[in-house]
Formats: sequence, structure tokens, C-alpha cells
Amino acid sequence: MTNTIVVIGGSAAGMGAAGAAKQVDPDARVVVFTELSDVAYSPCGIPYVHGKEIDSFDRLILLGKDHYEAQGFEIHYETVVSAINLAARTVEVPGQPAVRFDRLILATGFEYERPDIPGGELDGLYYVRDIRAAQRWDEVLDTVKRAVVAEAQPIGVEMATALAHRGIETHLVDPHPWAMAEIADPDIMAPVEESWRELGVHIHLNTRIKAFLGTERVHAVKTSDGEIPADMVVIGAKKLPNNHLAAQAGIKLGSTGGIIVDDHMRTSAAGVFAAGDCVEVPQGTTGVPIQGLSGSHAYAQGKVAGSGAAGKLRSYAPVYVPWGLVGGKWMVGGVSFGETLAGALGIPFVLGVAEGISRARYYPDFKKIRVKLLAEPGTLKLIGAQIVGGEGVKERCDFLAMAARQGLTLHDIAWMENVYSPAMGALNEPMALAAQNGLATAGQS
Amino acid sequence: MNGFFRWVRTNSQKYLLEAVQADLAHRYLGRPPTVGPKTPQVIFWKFLFVPLYRRLPWKVKQSVILAMPGSHRRHWSS
Repeated sequence: MTNTIVVIGGSAAGMGAAGAAKQVDPDARVVVFTELSDVAYSPCGIPYVHGKEIDSFDRLILLGKDHYEAQGFEIHYETVVSAINLAARTVEVPGQPAVRFDRLILATGFEYERPDIPGGELDGLYYVRDIRAAQRWDEVLDTVKRAVVAEAQPIGVEMATALAHRGIETHLVDPHPWAMAEIADPDIMAPVEESWRELGVHIHLNTRIKAFLGTERVHAVKTSDGEIPADMVVIGAKKLPNNHLAAQAGIKLGSTGGIIVDDHMRTSAAGVFAAGDCVEVPQGTTGVPIQGLSGSHAYAQGKVAGSGAAGKLRSYAPVYVPWGLVGGKWMVGGVSFGETLAGALGIPFVLGVAEGISRARYYPDFKKIRVKLLAEPGTLKLIGAQIVGGEGVKERCDFLAMAARQGLTLHDIAWMENVYSPAMGALNEPMALAAQNGLATAGQS
Repeated sequence: MNGFFRWVRTNSQKYLLEAVQADLAHRYLGRPPTVGPKTPQVIFWKFLFVPLYRRLPWKVKQSVILAMPGSHRRHWSS
């Protein structure tokens, strides 16, 4: 009997799940519902097309629709699933017969937190998400002289940089004392702010948006510090889990609003799996559930969910969350906790900070790197890191996430081996220097 | 019940973050914190909850957090 696996959502988690399900059980009927017009593209690349670093949206498309058709996937584009009936094992699509499933995978992703202020319904407010909408907005950007980016969450940081690259007068407005203040530390973001100013970005921190002004289309933003004229506004707000369907079906949600899952990505409902931005998973060091990670997390979770739905249970492990992005001319990144998050939670830590360089000091175009390591007092096990630098941030974050997962200590990192090659690595590895400084702070050097 | 835990997490997270952001902005940037209106909600979370939470040892805080429902209460192999 054919196993029918229905996937709701066609982004990283959904398509990862669909692909894994077909891989495990090639005879399975895999049905994907997506509200969008495309699947298998990288929405994370959209800001870089807007910023002209990437010359075409076509480059963001990984696989065409014909590929999935040839592989036997049934993909329903621009189709909204309106309800899940767990008792009947069906999903409901308005105007169509209910679709029966043996296994269901929820990959419903995120939705932006809508600003609860006057003018939220005006035209000219851009929520970056869908590649088709991004293509239309890209044409609008050719006519825009002044733009406001509302909130310096990660997408706001990337879009402020992109708009500035494009030569648009850009105003970044954020209620916090520094950009990305819920994730990154102020000393890590300081070089980014400086480079934004060099790019001509106007930064309005500690500033709240009170209203979007206009009749049909936004023409200004009213803030706690006055009005800013704007031809458009990019909403860089927080991402929230999109769990209306799961909640209506009675599937359990956690304190983050994400769907509760186990290590096989199974939800509280039998035969129903979930993955991506709509779920919460435990953070590795503390066990605290967290939600809204990167596309690579969503894809990996989707693979686990799809495999399980097709009959082969795989396990997903608690996360240490290596992350990174580009802000201004800098790369910033981290692992699990910085001073801000650890301080908010009240996790005690020993801090080791160092500045180094990415290549030999005599090699052209070397870049500065600032590394900050957080370790558990006593054991000195790594619990978090933050980095800002001109290059080499991603690799260090990946390494430090694995170091935290494996329980490495500042002692281990302080005297680690490292590549020394003038064109790609300096004699003194900045992570090792930071760990040595951490040991000195802890009185264990 | 889930709605209650989400409300607790959302508010505690917001006010604990704001408190530490004020500390770090002062230490690293010399920037003052924003001062908002003192609504009953702000008085409770900012002036009662945050100072009380900060006095508790991490292990106690962690136990309380982990007692809430969530994915961490289901099976996870490390």
C-alpha cells in the first residue's frame, strides 16, 4: 500500500522533508502544498540581489519545477491549506476535495510580527520573503530615493546594507540601543554601525516607529524622534512561528510558540512531523527551547522529518546555533550565547576577548577579527561566542559550535593547532588569543 | 495553558533583554537606556520581576525554565 506523505510548506524544511521522504521510500506519494509560486530557491539571497551583489534572481533558484515533476513529487503551488483534520487524516484545501495522508509534515515556516501601529495597511511596506514579490520590489527600488528600514533584526541589517549599496538614502530605525540587540553584543555591532555611516546609512537607535504616514501609499514614518520622509519601508521585524494550522488541529505548542517536537521531529499528534521555523528545539548547553533558526537548521530538520515520515527514524540533536550575516562591510556571527543573551538569561560566564587578523600581517588585504568567547566558570567549557571580522567568520563559528557541542574548554582552544599560511591565516589564531585571555581572566593562564 | 507559558516567556524575555541591553549599552557605548512610560505591566516586569529573577542562582532559574512545557521535555539524544 502506498504511503501518502503530505508536506505543508515548500521552503527549506518542506523541500528537505519531501526529498528525504522520497529518498527513503521511492514509492511513497509525496504531496507538497505551498502558498508561494516557487519552491527550492534561496530567500536568504534576496537582499544580495537587491544590493546588486548578485546580478539576477534566477541565481537564487536551485532546482526548477520540472525537476520535481520528473522526480514524482506532486507540488501544489499557490495553494493554501485551510485546516488539518487529524481524526480523518486529511488536509483541507478550499474548493478541492480533502487530501488524505498517512503521514503529515508541517513546515509552515514563519510570519513577520506585524507592527501594531497606524498605517500598517498602506502600500509601500515591504516584507522580504517571496522571490516573486522581491522581483516586483526590485523594480520599485529603481525609483526609490529614500527608504526606511523598520527594525534592525537580521533581515533589517541585511536590507539596510543592500539599500545603501544600491545608492538609496537609507534610514535604519530601531528601538534598541544597538542593531540586532537581541542577538549580537554592542561591541560586535559597533564596527557595523561605523561602516553603515561610511555607506551613508542614517542610523536612528533608541527610536520607536509610531506610525506609517500616507493616504494610500506610505510617504513618511513617524518616530519617537520626529518624521522621516520615505518612498518605501522595509519591515525588518521579528519572525514568529506560523502555527495557525497546528494550533487549530490541537497540536501542542511550546512557550516560544513553536511546535513541540522530539528528536525525530515528531509532534504531539501521531504520524505528524514538523520542521523548520515553525518548531522549537532545545539549545544544547542549557536545554532551553528556542525557535527561529537558520535555513540550514530548517533543511536538516526537514531531512529528519521526511525520513521519519517515510519510515526511517533519524535523530536531530540539540542545537548550538552557529549563525552569521553581513552588515555594512563586516561579517558578524556567533554561537549560542553572547553577553547579551547570557546576561538576560542570567547564565554565569567567563569572558575572553581578543582582536587578531585574518592573514599574515604583511599579506595584502588582511582583515581585522574580534573574537569573544564565553565559558562556564569552573569547567571553562565553551558556552558561546561572538565574532566580527572582514573574513573567516563563518568557518570560526562553525568550528566553535562544534567545540561547544563536544564540550571543549578554553584550555583546549587556547592551545589549539591552527593553519598558518600568509594568504589565509595568521600565526596567532584570534580564537586561541581570546581563549588565552579568558584563561587569564579566570586566573588559570 | 500554552498561552500562559508563551505570555510568561514573551514578557520575561523582553524585559530581561531590555535590562541587560541597558547595562551593556552603558558599558560599551556610553548610551543611556530609553525611558518609556511606567504602565502597570512595566512596573511588574521591569521593577519587580527582573530584579527578583536576577537574584536567583542560574541553576534555580534553569530549573524553572525547564519545568515549562516544550520540546526539551520530550526525548532528545544529545
